[in-house]
Formats: sequence, C-alpha cells, structure tokens
Amino acid sequence: MLLQHIADGVLSGAVVALGAIGLSFAMKILRFANFSHSELLTWGAYFALVFLGFTTAFSDFFGGNIGPLSFGWPLLIAMVLSAVATSVLALVLHALVFEKLGRGAGHMTMVFASFGIALLLRHVVVLIWGPNPIYYSNELQFAVLLPGNVRVMPDQVFLLGLTIVLVVSLHLFMTRSRAGIAMRGVSENPDLARVSGVNVDNVVRWVWVIGASMAAIAGVLYGLTVQLRPELGFGLILPLFAAAILGGAGSMYGAVIGGLVVGLSENLSVMIIPTTYKPAVPFLLILLILYFRPDGLFGERR
Amino acid sequence: MFIRQLSAALAFAALFFGGMAHAADCPVKLGGVLPVSGPMGQVGERISTTGQFAVDHFNAAGGVKGCDVEYVLRDTQGQSTVGVDAAKSLVDLEGVQALIGAVSSGVSLPILTSVAVPSEITQVSCCSSSESFTELAKSGDTNGYWFRTYATNRSQSAMGALLTTKSDFKKTAVIYVNTDFGVGLAKRFEQDIPKLGGSITKMVAYNESQQSYRAEVTSALEGNPDSLFLVAFPVDGATITREWLALGGTDNLIVNNSLRSTDYFEAVGTKYLQNLQGYDSAQPRLPSVATFNELFEAEFDGPPNGPGLHSVYDAVTVVLLAMEASDEITGANIRDNIRKVTSVDGEEVYPGPEGIKRAKALIAEGKTIRYVGATGALSFDENGDVQAPKMTWKLEGDENIETAYYTEKEVAELIIKLDN
Repeated sequence: MLLQHIADGVLSGAVVALGAIGLSFAMKILRFANFSHSELLTWGAYFALVFLGFTTAFSDFFGGNIGPLSFGWPLLIAMVLSAVATSVLALVLHALVFEKLGRGAGHMTMVFASFGIALLLRHVVVLIWGPNPIYYSNELQFAVLLPGNVRVMPDQVFLLGLTIVLVVSLHLFMTRSRAGIAMRGVSENPDLARVSGVNVDNVVRWVWVIGASMAAIAGVLYGLTVQLRPELGFGLILPLFAAAILGGAGSMYGAVIGGLVVGLSENLSVMIIPTTYKPAVPFLLILLILYFRPDGLFGERR
Repeated sequence: MFIRQLSAALAFAALFFGGMAHAADCPVKLGGVLPVSGPMGQVGERISTTGQFAVDHFNAAGGVKGCDVEYVLRDTQGQSTVGVDAAKSLVDLEGVQALIGAVSSGVSLPILTSVAVPSEITQVSCCSSSESFTELAKSGDTNGYWFRTYATNRSQSAMGALLTTKSDFKKTAVIYVNTDFGVGLAKRFEQDIPKLGGSITKMVAYNESQQSYRAEVTSALEGNPDSLFLVAFPVDGATITREWLALGGTDNLIVNNSLRSTDYFEAVGTKYLQNLQGYDSAQPRLPSVATFNELFEAEFDGPPNGPGLHSVYDAVTVVLLAMEASDEITGANIRDNIRKVTSVDGEEVYPGPEGIKRAKALIAEGKTIRYVGATGALSFDENGDVQAPKMTWKLEGDENIETAYYTEKEVAELIIKLDN
C-alpha cells in the first residue's frame, strides 16, 4: 500500500506542480498573492471542453485514441487551444484590473481584487456550464497493475510525462531565450531591469501568458484524470499555495518540488490520520514552512 | 425626539400584535423550511412542490376550519445557519404554528432545538433519518414537538447489511460521507454485519465536495474486499465509484438510497454498474398509496419517483388534519392532535381532496380517525418515528428494477434480531 500511496502522491502532485509554477511567478514578479490563479485552471479545463466539441468533429481525420490512453489528438489540440484562450483571458484580466490597480493600489488591494475576480470567474463557469460534474469522456479508464502491486492509469503516466517535458522546456526558455532572461532580471530587480532597457510591461505579459498556459494544461489534465467541476480550481487553491510557498516565490523548480511534496504528503497522511483530515494537510504544510523557512526551500533569503 | 421614538415603538408593536392576531384567522399559515437551492436543490425543489400539492388538496376540500391554507416556503440552501434563520422568521414574523422540514438531519436538528422546541412549534420532517432525533426524544428534549414521516437510519443499515450478506459477500469495505447521517449509518452497519455473517475490511470516511477521492479509495482497497458498501450522495458518489472501479475495486457495490438516482447512474455509466444493488424505503401495497400515485401523475405528468415525495405529502396532510382537529391552532395542540388523527383504532381516511373532505366530516362529528396516506398507515411511536417497508433494487441495462420487498413487520423483525 505504501508504494500505491507514493504513486498516487507523485501523480496528483504533478498537477499541483504545473498550477503552482504560474502562482509562484506571480508572487515574485507581479508581487501579489493571486487568488484568482486557481480559477484559470478551471477555465482552462472548460475551454478545452468547448474546443473538444470542435476538434472531435474532425476525429475521422485524427484517428482514434492514442495507444492505451483514453483520448486522442482532438483532446491534445483542444488543450493547446485552451492554453491560448486562457492566456487571452489572463491578459484581459491583467489589462482591465490588475494593471490599473497595480499602479497605485497597495498589496492588500491587489489580493482582495484577485479574490473578487476568483468569485466572478467561478460563478460565470456555473452560469455557462452548470454546477454538475462533466467528463471529457464518459468511458472509464481502468488502472494497469505495475510490479509492486501498484495500480496507475495510463492517462496519469501521460500526465507525469507531459509535466516533465513542460518543466524542462520552461527551464530552457528561462535560461536561453531573451524573454526568459529578461523575466529573471525583472524578478531580481525591476528598476535595474528597466534602466537596462528591459520592457517591464512586456515581461509582465509574458508572466501572465506562461502562468495561464501552465494553469490551463494543469486544468485539462486534472479534468482528464478526475472530472470537470466549477470548483475544480477552488478546491486546489490550498495545495497550490502550499506548493508555491514551499518552493519559494519565483522558483520554478521550487514550485515543482513543492507540488510533489504536497501531493505525497496528502496521500501518505491517510496512512496515519483518518481520511477526513486529509484536506487539512496542505494547510499544516503552509504553517510549518512559514514557521521554519518563511522564504521557502528554494527562495532567497531577504 | 422621545415622542417620536415612542410612537415608532407603538406603531411597531401595533403592527406586530396585529400580525399575530391576523395569523390566528384566515389564511391559516403552514411554514416550510426546505433546501430549494444548494447541493440538495434538485431534490428539495420536488419535495417543496409536492408539499404545495398536499396543501392544494386540503384547500380543495375546504381548507382548515373554513380558511384557506397558505404554504409559506423558506429556502435552507442545505445549510443549518440559513435554515435556523428561515425557521425563526417563519415563527416570529409569519406566526406559523407548524413547520415542515428540513431535509438534511444536520439542518433539521438545530431548527428543532433552537426554534421549534423553545417556541413550542410542531416540526414534521419528510426526510431526516438520523438516529440523533430518537435519542433526543428519548431524553425528553423535544417535548414531543418532533415528528417525521420517514423511517430512521436504523432500518437503512439493517437493510444494507442484509443485502450484503444475502449476496454472499464476506469482506466488505465501507466508504461513507462524513456527516451526521453517514457516520450514524456506517457505524450501525459495522455493528450489524458480523451478526449476519459478514465482516468489514476497512471503514473510510470522506468529506463532501472534494475534487478527488483517490487516497480514500486506495485506503478502502486495503485487505482486498469482495464488496463495497457506499454511503454517499450522487455527485461525490459518482466520483468515488469511478475512482474505485478504475483503481481495480470490485464492482460488487451496495449503495444507500440517495444513490438511487439517474444522475448517479449516468455519471458513472450504467454499463459499469451491472452488479450494483441498493435498498430504499418502499410504499406499502395499499389502495391509499395507489390513489396518491394517480393524483400525482395526473398533476405532474410523471410518477412520484424520488426521495421524500410520498413522505412530505403525508407530513403536510397530517399537520393540517391536526390543525383541523384543534380548538385553537397552536403548536401544542397540533402536537397532541397528530396522535389523534393517526390513532390505531380510528376510522381510516385516505389522501386526495375527497378523502380529506371525509376526514373533516368525521372530525366534525367528534370521531377519532386514522390517516392512511401516501406512505401507508402512519403510526408515530413515542419518539415521533415511523416504520416503513423496504425494497431492494438493482440495475439491469439502464433499467432500475425492484428485486425484493420487505414489509414493515419483516423490517422490524430484522432490527430486533440485530439489536439482540
């Protein structure tokens, strides 16, 4: 059973890791705790549902499901389109709310504004798609038995693989591309970056696009392995914050490790404590980190 | 300034007492506290419409004491705080003397203890099945103001245990919702099952509205159970069932009555649920039940399938009959007269406008009556509880079919056997 809990923890941690990357960047570069970030996961998942409607119309062209997975190319294309749509949504929110507030308002105003946006986004989802759970496919995927009596679903393995690919490519982007280097510059010192000729406004937009795209993909993967619900993102908000704070604001690897730690601790905790207390585990983690390492595992000491 | 305040206070008082006096004559008000929105919204909406349907029948038969009955409905949103506020406003502002509701035990209980009992208002629930109410009534804390037209948890766990052992399942895992209802039911099941020759591998509680229940399911899979007893509501129940099956759990499922819902079957997929079995309250095979079903179908173009519809009709009708039999409509009189209109040696009366007309005529003659309604002959015990027949069901293709029927007597015998 230990191995099974570890496998479940790593797999559920992967989604949290993807979601936490954007949140971590926002905390460091945009300099506020964006409570509406988790709603981008929800919107990403539901956007993909809409695009899936279009892409399945061409499913003859794409062929059926890929190997043992429960989905085919239509969902993957829908996922990419959803990342674009979610980025647009994030940029609109940035232009309409956060950019304007960011000029004059204080830190707390931004936090509360993000709360308001989160509520609004969630209820618009209920309004459009209704409160009941939806599945991309009503087929049920059965787990495969791996050595060590561990059961995993092929979709989950895909999820883990995709997360690794995304993290590696994001690393390359941050270290090799001009935009990535500029982003790191702004995160270190925005004023110095500005006088060095970096267009800070552009960098901020890049942060939104990357955060929103990662969130959208995390949302789709979550919807794929669990289900779509209007509270999809809201339910993940504590794990996401726990992962971002654990890893340290602005650290991409921190967010990934944080996600895995959160997933593992949630799943392993049920071996010791009753399952009804499981939702409290991320909360406990946040408390512990803030007490012992307020800047997170990978954050620099201020 | 002082004069103004005084006159305002007087005006308010006049309004208040005026309102009180008004409530004593026409129309007669009946309060409803039901979850018409929130997680129980779909179920609650149908229950409240059926409550109105019962009031309409009573009005068609001439109302209570020549007055039309007004059914004042307030939404609980499935939350105890909202429910208590709603009940308070019905009692204090509308001056109702009887409350119908709520649905969840967790909402009915605070309404009973903080509104109905202190204000001496009779409360009749269509749907709350927790055993806490029985305990409360036994300790004398309800003062007799609590009634329900729905059988308690006790019979539900007994039926679950019976169904499990009759199917020859030996090692059963239990996943249950972490509420008053779920915990009570699951703990009883744990006591009942060894007495019928089964055993429990693992008891796992879950919190409502979580995103994923993988950890809970993995825990429940320990010890390789050959069956799962699931106590859940449709939305979370479907998530748990999907994860359970996907992670290699057996498809020998026994579920509680709330999962006898097409929402649940469709969300999981009926083709995966062909070994699913469940139990539910049944209506006795009586003409009065058939009468109700016919009247309901004629009104709503569909059969009364769904939790709480038969029982809310009876809850409303019994309260209104008790009002009719009272000299003055007060909570205490309604409480006492509910016993008189359901007395075992009374003359039988039936649902529908015709039946109620006859009941009113008998009450006017001073005779005792026995209301035999949509759930059969109601006989409240000293704790305000009723017994009901039970049925078991399964899925065959997409069809939900009845597999067995247990009379009230058989259920009572089963419970006695398990309690000793």
